[in-house]
Amino acid sequence: MELTVNGRTEHLRVDSRTTLLDLLREQLGLTGSKKGCDHGQCGACTMHVGGKRVLSCLTLAASVREPVITIEGLADDGALHPMQRAFVEQDAFQCGYCTPGQIMSAVACVREGHADSDAEIREYMSGNLCRCAAYPHIVAAVKQAKVEMERG
Amino acid sequence: MAGIGTATVRLDGVAKVTGRARYGGTDVVLRNPAYAVLVTSAIAKGRITGFDLGDARAVPGVMDIFTYQNIGKIEPGKTFDGGGYMGTSIAPMASADIRHDGQTVAIACAGTFEAAREAAHRVKVRYAEERPSASFGSPGVETVAVAAVSKKHEDPKIGDFEKAFAGAPVKVDHEYATATEHHNPLELFTTACAWDGDRLTVWESSQSMYGFKNGLAQQLNIPPENIHVISPFAGGAFGSRGSLTQRTAIVAMAAKKIGRPLKLMTTRDQGFTIATYRAETRHHVKLGAQRDGKLVALSHEGFEVTSRPDNYNVSGTASSTKLYACPNVFSKVSIVHADRNTPGFMRSPPETPYLFALESAMDELAYALNMDPVRLRKINDTRKDPVSGLPYTSRSLVQCSEQAAARFAWSKRDPRPGSMREGDWLVGYGTASTMYPSNIAPAAVRVTLNPGDTARVQCATHEIGTGVYTVCALVVGDKLGLKPENVHVEVGDSALPPAPVSGGSNSTASVSNALAKACAEVLEKKRGGANGVIEAYAENLPAGADPDGVKKLYKGIPSFVRGENAKKNVRYAFGAQFVEVRVHSRTREIRVPRAVGAFAAGTIVNPVTAKSQLMGGMIWGISAALHEATEIDTRAARYTNKDLAEYLIPVNADTPDIEVIIVPERDSEVNPLGIKGIGELGNVGMNAAVANAIFHATGRRIREIPIRLEMLL
Repeated sequence: MELTVNGRTEHLRVDSRTTLLDLLREQLGLTGSKKGCDHGQCGACTMHVGGKRVLSCLTLAASVREPVITIEGLADDGALHPMQRAFVEQDAFQCGYCTPGQIMSAVACVREGHADSDAEIREYMSGNLCRCAAYPHIVAAVKQAKVEMERG
Repeated sequence: MAGIGTATVRLDGVAKVTGRARYGGTDVVLRNPAYAVLVTSAIAKGRITGFDLGDARAVPGVMDIFTYQNIGKIEPGKTFDGGGYMGTSIAPMASADIRHDGQTVAIACAGTFEAAREAAHRVKVRYAEERPSASFGSPGVETVAVAAVSKKHEDPKIGDFEKAFAGAPVKVDHEYATATEHHNPLELFTTACAWDGDRLTVWESSQSMYGFKNGLAQQLNIPPENIHVISPFAGGAFGSRGSLTQRTAIVAMAAKKIGRPLKLMTTRDQGFTIATYRAETRHHVKLGAQRDGKLVALSHEGFEVTSRPDNYNVSGTASSTKLYACPNVFSKVSIVHADRNTPGFMRSPPETPYLFALESAMDELAYALNMDPVRLRKINDTRKDPVSGLPYTSRSLVQCSEQAAARFAWSKRDPRPGSMREGDWLVGYGTASTMYPSNIAPAAVRVTLNPGDTARVQCATHEIGTGVYTVCALVVGDKLGLKPENVHVEVGDSALPPAPVSGGSNSTASVSNALAKACAEVLEKKRGGANGVIEAYAENLPAGADPDGVKKLYKGIPSFVRGENAKKNVRYAFGAQFVEVRVHSRTREIRVPRAVGAFAAGTIVNPVTAKSQLMGGMIWGISAALHEATEIDTRAARYTNKDLAEYLIPVNADTPDIEVIIVPERDSEVNPLGIKGIGELGNVGMNAAVANAIFHATGRRIREIPIRLEMLL
């Protein structure tokens, strides 16, 4: 199959049982997206497919036709996306394991127009679990980045 | 110049937000790896009578399937409380015996993860099943006093409790219960192993690099120097990665047998039974007080579930008998052996359940006295441990309580239960105290000062979300006059100088004091005329520690100077939790809109990460009060909600505004830098504060957690 990941087109032989998450992590070495449950329950594997956030652990790789963006491809080399910078500045994580998924969700949350109030951010970020419970700081980071993202 | 106490964003933050941070066994990229998937038992007690591996072996790509019959000799190892490293003495795949549900019985290895998973699903195991005992009250459990099985254990007591309680004019006498909980760090319990001749490299997220190295050496019967453990980041730990699980040696053996690097991918549900957890507890608390509120009698009896062979216990009476002044104290802890996996440390292991009981009872006593609960706690404040008589090195509980109460606007509380209301919602305010012992252990570090004002720190401590990279950089930056971003920090590698297990909230104190010693040596060398690269290796043996502490440190055995009993004094951090709950008057839905916690813990090295840990801890406490419980099918002794959809942890929408106040405190006695641990402090007491607030809102006293809406109908 042909798959475009972070702007690079790959030609791959893929087991029909392989999920998008396992393909990227185990075959392409893109270990930024995380596996926390493999059941679509935790959100750690969130990435963008065709610009929308998807749970890559519930997505069979062979079914993917649109371009994929992962945490590794969110910003240009060396730079940080405003959401990444906001997560650092607001200390919106502790162990950091859920963070790539949180950030991919957060970028989509802003783009979807679901970041207009704290309550809305909390609701639309509730598919991403954080066991360290950095939630209040995640809300602060989304608010900070939203301003910058909308300024463009 | 930024230094100790300067609010500093995490220096490993960029690695974490870009996906470059690599977690233990999960993210290692191996050359030509094979994959392994575990098969776990479908019964809790009995024996394996046979395997049918034909279908599994026929899956294309399968390399081998190992069971107790062909994995080879793995030593079970001793548990940590017996001087070893293991979290359990139950050795899976050592025999046909099954001691708990979900015990590892086979490991399927294949060239791809998909093939290994399919093969694991096709393994058929035949069992001879016996009826298991699940928990408290199950037929066949065995209850024993901890004092009868552990020479080290003491049940604190003083005075004549019975007489004082009998004569007390105001009394509280109730039983309390806390639920089974699993750590559920978001990173799964993965492990990767690669052999190079007789040398083994292990990638596994760990809170104990040297413990894992030495423990594995014993299990595999090879020299520890042949084992290299790597874990630059752990995807959450909370105690679950502090002792060695039995899986690691199994993966190492399987990797050796198939002759390829092997990566174990475990599932979320397997994590409930191949690692440890917080066992359910029961408590009987009796408080007797004078009419002025002064405690005259306190009794705390605890009961904790453990596995059939192990005596794991948390015995939080060591703390609960120290919190308040009281001349007559009785306590006793018993363990209840059931057919379960062995429990283990989970964030604030003793204090979380035991202070739920005590701080609930204190709230009941406040109502019995018709006294404000904040005032009751102040009246019973103490400067010394009432049992041993040893002084606290510092104790700022009253200051914490006053600051948090003011910020929370506690004075607006009408104490009558059910008296405060907003629309359809009943409003309740609750409070409780928190305490956590300030522990320190020997640690070794290497600090290298380079020309051009940069430095390097090397220490096999652990980044489990606590911000240790930044803490190390701040301490060394402070001592050597460098910017923290110019201090390169290496942790999470057993080739580095040893640090103790990152448990008991000791790491910042243990490692920082060792770093200060190494920095002093660097400066001494510099003053002596050294130039160029200046390197110093330092071992810190804290005052009062086992004289063999450093030798033991190299063997992966921590020699704590424990806050509960530091010989000449007792050392604790304290705090006060305040929380508002709202209970819907008709549906009984419970919400927590806000919480304020104030904490005093000596020197705070990095206020940014300290506040995050305290905040996360407070949310953990709310979670314990309202969300988390591992449900047990008592007929099968089996956990039934082994996934993140049914094991409830808070999501963002469940989480209130949290305010963390750090109350300044100086304590030069705990250690030279005056550091007390904070990783577990924020968690404690909040469970009781929420339950107390629910009583205030509704008039319903719920003495078991989590509190669910059906309990309020």
